[in-house]
Amino acid sequence: MTIFLTAGSIYLVFILNEEGPLRILFNLLTFAGIYGLAAIGLNVHFGLTGLLNFGHASFMGVGAYVTLLLIPHAAGREGEITDTGLTFFPALVIGIIAAALFGLLLGLPAIRLRGDYLAIVTIAAAEIFRLLVRDLESVTGGVYGIINFSESLQIYKPEFLINFSERFELNSSQMWVGLLSWISIFIVLILLRRLINSPWGRALRAVREDEDAVRALGKNAIWLKLQSFMLGAGIAGLAGVFLAFNYGSLQTTTFVPLLTFYIWAIMILGGVGSLTGPIFGSIIFWVIISETDRLAQLIFENANGQQLAGVRFILVGLLIMLLMIFRPSGLLGKKEELLLDVKSS
Amino acid sequence: MLKVHNLRKRFGGVKAVDIDDISFEQNQLTSIIGPNGAGKTTFFDLISGFTEGDEGKVFLNEKNITNSQPFSIARQGMVRTFQLTKVFDRMTVIENMMFSGSNTKNDSLFRSLMKLSTQKNNENLIREKAFEIMKDLNIDHMADSYARELSGGQKKLLELGRSIINDPKILLLDEPLAGVNPKLAEEILSIIQKLSDQGITIIMVEHNIEAVMKISERVIVLAEGSVIADGNPEKVRKDPKVIEAYLGSGNE
Amino acid sequence: MIEQFGNGLLLGIIISVASVALSLLYGVTRIVNFAHGEIIALGAIMTLFFSNPIDSKILFLDRFAPLGMNFSISILIAILICGIFGGLLEIFLFRPLRKSEVGNIAVLVVTIGLSIFFRHLYLLFATGRVQNFPLELERRQTYLFFDMTPRNFQVLIAGLIVMIFIGLFLSYTKIGKAMRAVRDSNELANVSGINSDNIILFTWIASSMLAGLAGIFQAIINDVRYNMGFLILLLIFAGTVLGGIGTSFGAMVGGLLIGIFVQVSVALPFMEGHTEAKNAVALAIMILILLFRPQGIFGQKERIS
Repeated sequence: MTIFLTAGSIYLVFILNEEGPLRILFNLLTFAGIYGLAAIGLNVHFGLTGLLNFGHASFMGVGAYVTLLLIPHAAGREGEITDTGLTFFPALVIGIIAAALFGLLLGLPAIRLRGDYLAIVTIAAAEIFRLLVRDLESVTGGVYGIINFSESLQIYKPEFLINFSERFELNSSQMWVGLLSWISIFIVLILLRRLINSPWGRALRAVREDEDAVRALGKNAIWLKLQSFMLGAGIAGLAGVFLAFNYGSLQTTTFVPLLTFYIWAIMILGGVGSLTGPIFGSIIFWVIISETDRLAQLIFENANGQQLAGVRFILVGLLIMLLMIFRPSGLLGKKEELLLDVKSS
Repeated sequence: MLKVHNLRKRFGGVKAVDIDDISFEQNQLTSIIGPNGAGKTTFFDLISGFTEGDEGKVFLNEKNITNSQPFSIARQGMVRTFQLTKVFDRMTVIENMMFSGSNTKNDSLFRSLMKLSTQKNNENLIREKAFEIMKDLNIDHMADSYARELSGGQKKLLELGRSIINDPKILLLDEPLAGVNPKLAEEILSIIQKLSDQGITIIMVEHNIEAVMKISERVIVLAEGSVIADGNPEKVRKDPKVIEAYLGSGNE
Repeated sequence: MIEQFGNGLLLGIIISVASVALSLLYGVTRIVNFAHGEIIALGAIMTLFFSNPIDSKILFLDRFAPLGMNFSISILIAILICGIFGGLLEIFLFRPLRKSEVGNIAVLVVTIGLSIFFRHLYLLFATGRVQNFPLELERRQTYLFFDMTPRNFQVLIAGLIVMIFIGLFLSYTKIGKAMRAVRDSNELANVSGINSDNIILFTWIASSMLAGLAGIFQAIINDVRYNMGFLILLLIFAGTVLGGIGTSFGAMVGGLLIGIFVQVSVALPFMEGHTEAKNAVALAIMILILLFRPQGIFGQKERIS
């Protein structure tokens, strides 16, 4: 069923796009990989531990900003160039750790709060992060963002990818980012599967089920939740780095709350708590997103950017609502694994 | 073994718990009874760290545990159960047991990620022990069922089993017989008796007076947060204040 | 500083009215309504639609002309529409969800979907342009210590009157008392003979009308944008939390304080050159409040937990 739906939606790309379906497909798969990775992180928070995190965009942002500022780049209005710095991979590791630590920072206080309060605190903290990044222009480039950083990653681009891209007229830089994000998904999923079936995963599930019972049995529920917060935030940080490299420039506007809501839609679509759900959810989501532009063109003659975005997000909103109401276990999730009847208090 | 001194707690204007001094002796089976709203569960919440008291001190083995975290109190050997059973619904029975039997070291993220062989050995030991206890409680045939599939009484048994897997010194049982059919209630009572014989100090809140009088060595009666009677079952049964408290409130 | 204080009062009154609306709804239904901002925007956009001169074809897909009606009547109609909108949401969406016992957290996610949906519907219909009500420009005058335009001063007074009205309503009318009873009992028992479904319906309508009014205030003082509600939603949360979630009086004062704080913080020395970050300060205050005094500055401890 899952595979079928996913394959079907990819097939749809080929039917609907007569010109250059491959190019569209690989563009879409790159986004799907990055967002899917972020959704896996969110699933660690919500699906595995029951933490209502609505500040996911900030974890992605921390990962991206820290990594990019450590490698050679240009930032700010004048495009001030910093041409010394770390190579990509050490910077990436520090970026991921920074995102995880930001998760800890946010989690430390927030973890004491009840579900809906946690949602408000996390979304507010993410906004504070975004406003501060925008404000600290001297460091982060403010609204002008960061550019000219791609080279650090692209120098590792393998030969076969360049050849492949040339033959099919694809963007090899994007292909490289996409490939890396899918490799990351693969590795992260293997590690997560191991963790979920371990005593640690068992403890996490117990926290999700009943925190009071966990505490009564002598287990530190708060520490478990913090670990989950850090793990998910680290994964999100990794996704954020890939997102920046896919765009080729880093803007504060990328990390608005809507990004978080996108990730939520993907997670719900794929099935909350399902390990592989987010990747299928992400592919289907991006097929829907990229094909809505077509829908917009039907409604408006010569739709402008705003109208395209409008139709897109109307669909995203509708998707979130309908899924939550009619299939809270996700389009692809199993009903028995329904995790959303989390107790309301 | 467990000492409580000047413990007080108010909710809004209402006095929930107001206890001057009680101590619980090692190896004794004590029951706490009293009309609804007498503060029995609040008393448990206070000594197990789930609620912060307004004033007063709690000592476990001479150690001050006032306002300690619930998990740290549990690790010091005092484990509680809940009035409304709190089993982990979407985990299997054996997972419920093994989670409780495991410790922080065994649960650690690092060990889990590395799949260390020491962890594997640990898990096997825990599983063996879990099965031993489940056999005693007669729920071993349900090991691989989800906890939510259990009957109310079986959930009580699971909760009890989960509480004793780490060999606690003191067990706080909040209404272990509530909502359980008479036959199973009998069974649970004999298990509690057996645990007491094994040397576990048991403090139990229970509404079933008959059961309480039958197995308790000591009965404490609470009314409006204060102790109004304390002693062996025979003595308490005849205490006029107790009779009045029960008749006066129109309960039981 | 004084000037910022005046601006703060104006922002405060907007947030205050919106916070009371949010707080009422949360108190009675336990719904954290992320779509609150969209009801706010609806009030402003509807007023614009009814009142803008017919020849200014700038609204609605660039095709439909506004109606060019009297401004005050437009406001009344817009508020009514907001009320109907809230009522319809309750009847066709939230009541069925409640009956099928969907958990609070799932409902919270639904309101987020709702918010995204309507916000972008507005984007299509009202375009992304910043628009203004058809009102003449006014000169600032001095009232007590504050410089503001007469119209903004009227908004301030109107807001205060609305607050007093809400306070009286909750204290003295049968349905107001019933709303408080439902809120305080934490469960939807049928209180004082009024069906709890009707109380909730009424709460949705009242909350939405107030939200619409807040949107109209916001549009008079500033302007109309499709995402105007979402932009101040977090400040409204902050106001609600500051005053104590579920207490109407607290939300009023909390909203005012947040508004004043946001505007006055601009004038603080360490904020020099960082006006963009002013909202961050208010949000940080909210987080601190939630951590150290989750019942807010006016709430009682027992109500939380």
